[in-house]
Amino acid sequence: MSQTSSKGLSVGNLVRRPEFGALIGALAVYIFFAVASGPDFIAIGGTASWLNVSAELGIIALPVSLVMIAGDLDLSVGSVLAGSSMTLAIVSGYYGLPTWVGIIAAIAFGLLVGLINGLVVTKTNLPSFVVTLATQFAISGITLGTTRLLTGSTSVAFQAQNPFQGLFGSMIFHDKFEVAVVWWIIMAIAVSLVLYKSIFGNWIYAIGGDVVSARATGIPVAKVRISLFVASGFGAALVAVIQTSLYNSAQVSNGQSFVFNSIIAVVVGGVLLTGGYGSTIGVILGTITFGVVNQGIYYTGWDADWAALILGILLLIAVLTNNTFRRLAISGGKKKEKK
Amino acid sequence: MKFTRTAKAASLLAVSALALSTAAGVATSAQAASGVKVYVIGGMPSDPFWSVVKRGAEAAGQAVSAAGGSVTWLGPQNYDNLGPDAGKLVDNAVSAGADAIVIADWVPAAEDPAIKRAIAAKIPVVIYNAGGVAEVKATKALTYIGSDEGVAGKAGGVYFATHGVKNVLCVNTGPGNANYEARCNGIIAGEKSKGGKGKQLPLPSSNFGNPTAVSNAVKAALTKDKTITGVITLGVQDADSSAAAITAAGLSGKVKLATFDMSTNTLTRIGAGSQLFAIDQQPWLQGYLATSVAWQYAQYGIKPATSPILTGPAIVDSSNVALVKTGVAGGVR
Repeated sequence: MSQTSSKGLSVGNLVRRPEFGALIGALAVYIFFAVASGPDFIAIGGTASWLNVSAELGIIALPVSLVMIAGDLDLSVGSVLAGSSMTLAIVSGYYGLPTWVGIIAAIAFGLLVGLINGLVVTKTNLPSFVVTLATQFAISGITLGTTRLLTGSTSVAFQAQNPFQGLFGSMIFHDKFEVAVVWWIIMAIAVSLVLYKSIFGNWIYAIGGDVVSARATGIPVAKVRISLFVASGFGAALVAVIQTSLYNSAQVSNGQSFVFNSIIAVVVGGVLLTGGYGSTIGVILGTITFGVVNQGIYYTGWDADWAALILGILLLIAVLTNNTFRRLAISGGKKKEKK
Repeated sequence: MKFTRTAKAASLLAVSALALSTAAGVATSAQAASGVKVYVIGGMPSDPFWSVVKRGAEAAGQAVSAAGGSVTWLGPQNYDNLGPDAGKLVDNAVSAGADAIVIADWVPAAEDPAIKRAIAAKIPVVIYNAGGVAEVKATKALTYIGSDEGVAGKAGGVYFATHGVKNVLCVNTGPGNANYEARCNGIIAGEKSKGGKGKQLPLPSSNFGNPTAVSNAVKAALTKDKTITGVITLGVQDADSSAAAITAAGLSGKVKLATFDMSTNTLTRIGAGSQLFAIDQQPWLQGYLATSVAWQYAQYGIKPATSPILTGPAIVDSSNVALVKTGVAGGVR
């Protein structure tokens, strides 16, 4: 099950690594847009464009990938983002409490929704698809209703105090890169440590591979799944804090595109929708692929009417490439076992 | 075992559906047997613009309740399938026993058949916010109340051109929406009438609700075409994103920002000089007037003689921003 078992650097091993398809996909779209767009895209401003989009998506997609490797889905991240950013804007913007209070409340909101998702999924044994879809709707209703009740509006202005403006909502490195890029790197390191350096990581793969035998071998399945949903809620809440600080406002309709986009990034990154297979580097590459495709089109100077079409085609190609290499990787693994 | 699971799932979904319908739902539910039932169909209740329209409708609803009637607000859950969804809401209002209907005619081809069915059933219909006089004629509706998007856009384009901005980018986060297209086309027409030019930046729905994706796309467009000196957005959230884009592209002061509609941040920027102007169609007035007219006609046969009743455009810039701020704080502007 472990993804870090490849020995040596032979071409065969490299090609069989789970993230190789994702690497090819990311490189292909980057080269495509580098050629099509010319110097502006490769320049620091262009790099910032796709990296900023990738970073925010990545902060959500990384914990979501853990949920998916364990065989579940989380469709509630969009509403968690909206709810958390509204919590922050209402607590610290509308009521004027200190920024740190608002941030703690916003993060707590994300953790709480994750906990509810996890508890309902494990206690009822309902598919997580249905449960998190229900919370996605319910939370968006709560956010809208509460916001209008408290503020009479659906858009709340907010200005973070220092040091929080700098920590979450500032631009770094030539004033072009969001500080979210740093949070993304921290998140990637944390998720990698969990997945590869802790027993918890093995449990995640085991649960996603076969939940019945995982339970039989004494893995605390419910606890693991609940903590993964909580982590996923945390990722969405963190992006909420970042976006609200950066754009100085919260809207109740924010974040909905992250539901599908996070799943797309994770799947492009080579994680199986059925669970049990995937890697952190793959997910990072999948997120980069999405960011490059999402922003690259605007550097080409082509009629942006076609952006969604190109996005669709490139994502399909990326997943197809991935699938081919994954089949190779899995078949390679089996051969070794026979030896 | 399997049956109980399904039952659980069903009840869970029913609960969430219930939560949703209450959130989206009833503005004024006080009903008397003899009163007039007015159904107002608008955008998503979570949309900041429609939130103000809804407040206007609610204010008018107090007069309706006092006369023993009721006002019910209906809105779609999302904008993915706006035209057909709005058409269905009209049919829903008819079957719920509406005595008058207020509807925004965003996608006439999809909504007009339903509007005609309602009118054929002898239910007066007021078109507001979108559609204009053309759709009043096509459907034989009572009147149109709202702004003329083309006229509003043109006013913005002319304002840009007379303030030294001769090449403008219209950020369209809902390409295909008749309202949005008319706004962008109006801006470009306004610029052209004063010797300037402009183009659209259409952004796909995969960026919906993600200010970072919108912001970076605007930055890309400004980087790619350095002759652009003005950016106008069709909504206030996109204005926040575009303000960040102008800063990130290092073009503060060189590229002037404007937006349709208003928010606290928009007005703060206008006050601070980092935004040129905002075009206000006075949405509260749309909700208030459309609901009042529909109710008065259904209950007493009262009808204003002017048609259409235009609620905008009103331009908000540094000269009048202070007064407008008080209205925004109250959720009325």
